[in-house]
Amino acid sequence: MSAPLVPDLFGLCKVLTAAIIWIVQQIIYALAGPIPPLAGLGDFLGTDFVITLVTWLIVVTVVVLWVTVINLFTIMWVERKLYSRLQDRYGIMISVWSLPFWPFNRTRRPTHRGTGYLQNLADGIKLIQKENITPRNADSAMFHISPVLIASSTLMAFAVLPWSSGFYVANLDLGILFILAAFSLAPLGILIAGWSANNKYTLVGGLRAAAMLLSYSIPAVLAVIALVFFTGSLNPIVIVGQQDRPIVLAGTTLPIPAWYVFGPQFLGFLVFTVAMIAEMERVPFDIPEAEAELVEGWTTEYSGMRFGIVFAFKWLRMLAASGLISILYLGGWSGPVFATVFVGSIPIPIFPEEFWFVLRVYGLSAFFVVLSWSVPRVRIDQILNIGWKRLIPYSLLAILIAAGFRVLG
Amino acid sequence: MALESYVPVVIFAVVALLFPLGTFFATRLFRPDHPTPLKDLTYECGEVPEGEAQIQFHFQYYMFALIFVIFDVAAIFLLLWAFAWGGLLTSASPVAKFSIFLFLGIMFVATQYALKKEEVIQI
Repeated sequence: MSAPLVPDLFGLCKVLTAAIIWIVQQIIYALAGPIPPLAGLGDFLGTDFVITLVTWLIVVTVVVLWVTVINLFTIMWVERKLYSRLQDRYGIMISVWSLPFWPFNRTRRPTHRGTGYLQNLADGIKLIQKENITPRNADSAMFHISPVLIASSTLMAFAVLPWSSGFYVANLDLGILFILAAFSLAPLGILIAGWSANNKYTLVGGLRAAAMLLSYSIPAVLAVIALVFFTGSLNPIVIVGQQDRPIVLAGTTLPIPAWYVFGPQFLGFLVFTVAMIAEMERVPFDIPEAEAELVEGWTTEYSGMRFGIVFAFKWLRMLAASGLISILYLGGWSGPVFATVFVGSIPIPIFPEEFWFVLRVYGLSAFFVVLSWSVPRVRIDQILNIGWKRLIPYSLLAILIAAGFRVLG
Repeated sequence: MALESYVPVVIFAVVALLFPLGTFFATRLFRPDHPTPLKDLTYECGEVPEGEAQIQFHFQYYMFALIFVIFDVAAIFLLLWAFAWGGLLTSASPVAKFSIFLFLGIMFVATQYALKKEEVIQI
């Protein structure tokens, strides 16, 4: 019924790797005439181990570039345009024709009536040229390690997050648990960053991040446990496969997809979504960097590209959280329309699974953006109370409901 | 078999670690580096910073932290129990099936009782 655009990422990259290695081998064999020991190197490159390793490296690079270059810039652009619209203005509009060098410096082209898509790239280039300042009193080693910890743990979520039934790096049986574990590493980095900068704002921001972790991570895990009663698995591909069918209620097939959000898991969905908003530190729960109270929270002392990385990777966490919500509750990449055209004998899907998944991810992200620019920030005691006196009872109730539905059948 | 599927994750971890490190080292080629004593001061809204920030911070939510540790362990029990639930349903023994609800109930009541005294928190 459904078809991914990339049916097998590893297989696709293996063809590419084999071609590259074959070319390199031919060059080495040609050089092996005057330098005979090189022939052994050429044979070594052709072994299965080298080809597999290089293929995995290419697969990982493809996914990292897809996530950081394409999706990160797009989601930042979406947010900047969307919140500008909420504030009744157009937002970034600088077009590519404002660049001062050759193919772009046409006269008579409007320079400030574009979409502004490359604005974030320009901001990144600006941040690369900025000086990195380390405060004199800071714990230098920890101050430099924590952005790496935050950035790499955020990226690690995408090692397991599948973009379709074929476009993923690793297919783990405990994939959902792995993503939640990767998420929960970043508050540790935030705590280290807050403490090591030796600044009062960062200290308060870091400790607030720790307090927030205490309040949202347990409800998120409990909501996933309530879901496990129905799925019996934590493999994202298996979970999405279970939702790719219509609801059958009392013998009649309804025209509603069997997403887990429709049914007894609705309470768990609400709890998990609120916990994920807290996890990505968006506005109702952005107390670790409440810019009205603590200058920029735990990122106050970071400058240059360090600030750029820790600031931009929050959008990656939003992407990963949206993807996780859509996999668990909103049917992942299952979609209503799957048309294929045949190019030669190869079927190419017009609306592939990736399209439906990206649509869900961006729809959820747009919802989070609108939400975060519409509501005020909660206080630290309020978030602890929301976590422990609302979300945990509700998630325990969701577990009871799920267990009861399984008992009744 | 199970361990083999984690090989790409390990490779991904290496690349994910090298990505920010490489970015930070690459910026050295483009950015200036002129530290001055005034620049290296701790930021405190333009004032000369007063005292240290690495102090004994009043850790007000220690009660939440304690209960968090308990729930963290309990979450693992619950996860295993949820996995085994389908198998438990077919077994006859009600003890294995329902005793964890008693555990959950005790834990929930104790948590809410312990949090009653944590009414006001300021950080």
